[in-house]
Amino acid sequence: MATRERDAIAAEASERSGAVSLRALTKAFEEVTAVDGIDLDVAAGEFFSLLGPSGCGKTTTLRLIAGFERPTGGEVLLDGTDLSAVPPERRNVNTVFQSYALFPHLNVSDNVAFGLRYQKVDRRDRERRVREALELVELGELAKRRPHQLSGGQQQRVALARALILRPALLLLDEPLGALDAKIRRQLRLELKSLQEEVGTTFIFVTHDQEEALSMSDRIAVMNRGRIDQIGTPREVYESPRTLFVADFLGVANTMSVEAVGGEGGGCSVRAGEFMLEAGCGDLDARGEVTVVVRPERLEVSDHDPDPGPNCLPGMVDRTVFVGSNLQVMVRLATGALLQASVPNGGEGLDRFRQGSPVKVRIPADALRVLSGA
Amino acid sequence: MSAAATRVEEPRPAIRPSRLPDWLANPWGRPRFLALTTWLYIIWALVPVLFAIAFSFNDGRSRSVWQGFSTRWWWGDETFSVFHDPTYTHALEHSLTLAVLDMAIAAPLGILLAIGLSRWRGYGSRAANFLMLVPLTTPELAMAVSLLLVFTQLSLVPFSAIHLGTTAQVIGQVTFSVSYVVVIVRSRLAAIGPDYEQAARDLGASPRQALQHVLLPLLTPAILASMLIVFALSIDDFVVTQYMSSSGETTTIPMLLYSNARGGATTPALNAVATIMVVVTLVGVGGAYAALRWFGHRTESDSGGAAMRELATVEA
Repeated sequence: MATRERDAIAAEASERSGAVSLRALTKAFEEVTAVDGIDLDVAAGEFFSLLGPSGCGKTTTLRLIAGFERPTGGEVLLDGTDLSAVPPERRNVNTVFQSYALFPHLNVSDNVAFGLRYQKVDRRDRERRVREALELVELGELAKRRPHQLSGGQQQRVALARALILRPALLLLDEPLGALDAKIRRQLRLELKSLQEEVGTTFIFVTHDQEEALSMSDRIAVMNRGRIDQIGTPREVYESPRTLFVADFLGVANTMSVEAVGGEGGGCSVRAGEFMLEAGCGDLDARGEVTVVVRPERLEVSDHDPDPGPNCLPGMVDRTVFVGSNLQVMVRLATGALLQASVPNGGEGLDRFRQGSPVKVRIPADALRVLSGA
Repeated sequence: MSAAATRVEEPRPAIRPSRLPDWLANPWGRPRFLALTTWLYIIWALVPVLFAIAFSFNDGRSRSVWQGFSTRWWWGDETFSVFHDPTYTHALEHSLTLAVLDMAIAAPLGILLAIGLSRWRGYGSRAANFLMLVPLTTPELAMAVSLLLVFTQLSLVPFSAIHLGTTAQVIGQVTFSVSYVVVIVRSRLAAIGPDYEQAARDLGASPRQALQHVLLPLLTPAILASMLIVFALSIDDFVVTQYMSSSGETTTIPMLLYSNARGGATTPALNAVATIMVVVTLVGVGGAYAALRWFGHRTESDSGGAAMRELATVEA
């Protein structure tokens, strides 16, 4: 029951609020511009993710906020104050490192207490806060262990406790789950999210794992080559990707090059070979050569539908892959395009979609998205 | 098609016969040949030393004919034993003085240089990194002769201010031993990486506090190891120490051993001196190893191995 410490962390978090704004933030190294003029507003108490492939500038952005790097341009504002000239030790911002960076010469409680050395906290208070911070991450019994005696998941929690005990306005997390195996990662995802809700501290979470970002974040910024491609809620960036990169990075995206010819009402008709499809979302005013995307789970594949409705394309099963909960059915359309459909595993195994068997693929209009400027 | 048909390959046999008998080349068995070679080498290397040690306990004056056991050359003889003859006691004292001074100067200097070099990015840093290694590869004789020249011939401050004797000996030893410290500490720094220090800064430590509370504790094995290396280098050193010496006052044990090795007038007391050198070095190595093990046990699951690996890299 680490209530006092948790409440104290939460109180500080709400008091200082912890809203972050990046203004035209730029970091150029000798050879590359890692961060290229980013503008971003993170609200206080938000769980915000920076998502992107390696080398997209997400970690550099985090390091600029933490103060390990000095921007070559732009500003980092924490609750309206520019931090650019403030060294990391004087920022009310703490970091959970990808490697955790737990000090190997100190035991767990000394690691957690480390930051309190540099604040005026008397001994009794310090001991209580360490105890409660460890209880907050459910590691009370391991206080005397050394970091190397802990599992990866436990180390990660010590790193969290070590950062949160300082009651930061903002917590930065650099791929904190990256070093763990898949099962623990999934479990810690939930824990991390509920911990964040409990303490209310603003979290900025860097990851290349789209599932991680989607499942935990209030909002996500998808980064690509030092810029932000799209900012939105998990649903927005997944369902309504603005660029091909975003569509492709967040899960499997089937893309087709089609010709938009427009249409009556709200939709947009596109021509794929000799077939006409109705696209219901995205840039519906586009005309001419455009790219449309559709998620695999939105495709409806049927093997015995004599009467195809609208938005149906004939095709042939190219191959089917069994992935447990789903079947991945690759369908070669009559237009030549190859689509991946995800079909729930109903127990019939691969037999339903044998290689070469003819199928119909229905693309619901509201799942077919026209990308702008593609 | 016909080509494929003619190229029918012999089926590979399921088992290829071994050419060597089983006792010699049994891959699951003990590596007997390796073990034998290793023991032969160890005996070859240790036996001469053991002989020398044994003769320090000889009852007679001979250093080659055994005349019974005694401790006269150690302390029994009031005039000629190691701990009575001023030639020996003085050399011992001077050797230890030089070793301690060398350690006290080269270790802190080397640590600072290593930390500095690991942070220095940009123009000149690569050249500096390379040049730091030059003293390791320079033939010692060349270094000794050049140091002698600049200290005695050059009328340029600061070189002209250094006179042969203890000062020159310490400076000479520090000159070459500091490189070893730099190499050991740098390799450890590279293994530690920048994260711990950044984590300390992140948690509120100033750059100096991060150094003091995180980096130096993590460097302790490397610092101990390098101090040990410096001590051993200094105790062992002959060439530079000899060239930088001024008189009998600045004679060290290696110098004494060298000048008396072939002399007819020497007694087993000289063996006793050699024995003391061996023991001092062994105690140093053993003590440092024990300390590292203890330290390693506290920090890493890999107990003490890290520091020994660092020693090995330098010796290589």
